[in-house]
Amino acid sequence: MNIVILLLLVAGIAVSLLFGKADGVLSALQNGAASAVENILRLSGAYLLWMGLLNVAEKAGLIKALSRLLSPALRLLFPDAKNAREAISMNLAANMLGMGNAATPYGLSAMRLMEEENPHKGVATNGMCVLLVVNASCLELFPATLVGIRSGFGSAVPSAVVLPTLMSSLCSTIVAVVLCLLFIRPCPSRS
Amino acid sequence: MPVAILILALLLFAAAQRVNVFEAFREGAARAIPLLKTILPTLAVFSAAMTLFRESGASEMLASVLSPAFRFFGVDPALVPLILVRPFSGSAALAALTDVFAEYGPDSRIGLTASVLLGSSETVFYTLALYFGSAGVRKTRFAVPAALIALFTSIVTGLLFSSLFFGA
Repeated sequence: MNIVILLLLVAGIAVSLLFGKADGVLSALQNGAASAVENILRLSGAYLLWMGLLNVAEKAGLIKALSRLLSPALRLLFPDAKNAREAISMNLAANMLGMGNAATPYGLSAMRLMEEENPHKGVATNGMCVLLVVNASCLELFPATLVGIRSGFGSAVPSAVVLPTLMSSLCSTIVAVVLCLLFIRPCPSRS
Repeated sequence: MPVAILILALLLFAAAQRVNVFEAFREGAARAIPLLKTILPTLAVFSAAMTLFRESGASEMLASVLSPAFRFFGVDPALVPLILVRPFSGSAALAALTDVFAEYGPDSRIGLTASVLLGSSETVFYTLALYFGSAGVRKTRFAVPAALIALFTSIVTGLLFSSLFFGA
């Protein structure tokens, strides 16, 4: 991150000096920073609304309901994580509903529970790797906040991106899970 | 409008479960405030740097040098910052997205593609550090390569489905 920002700033100033536009540097920087305030207002609508609505969904028991639906599949993916399975299914269900904030505590406690059952402390078990990879590949059934942000920026078709987004994240999740299964099969004893 | 139906279904379901919708909504929205507070400074740094980079002409220079390579893979140079920061920082990726929206509009081909790319990928390195760090894992075995391949897949499929859905 640091390097990206540094490169952008240094290159921007250097090119400005090169083209004799040194006077424009301050106004460009300041207008940019000011546009952050404008953009945070556009974002805040989406965040306030969807974090509110998603909390309503959580209180209504939607995460629990979905996690119950997921549990047969989880028995296949996490055969040896017995104590952690409930936390895992809550984590994945919250992720699928787009509740990243609710998902993280479940994911972390699942990791700790799996580490407790781990015979080789400090070496990730198969289950820990699968949980991480699925979390890192983002499977969201409906990207509500994204649609909200698009609408906040004046999109006429905010949900036009839902289907391609879902298809793309589905592909990456499938690739991630298949990779895990391929890696797990040949070396079950090395966990 | 499917979103309207989704919200209606959620509200009716919550009411049937005897959830206090007002209180639950308030509680959730309250959690957005610290989040927005942490996003604003990232947005400021990123927008300042991006605006300078564009207005100085450096962006055009870079684009003209790189565009043959990027065009070959179907990547618009305007999407490069988003793709570069996505695995490291969620708020920086959000800043890159808002930058694209403000510059090209959310319904431009670039804006649509940026939405798909952001929506279908995760902050991989942050997730890795957080999850393995909290459990005290030092040897991560196949998790890192698998997570990176998933990230790469989501970028490729994101670009592919965007051009299928929104035209080349």
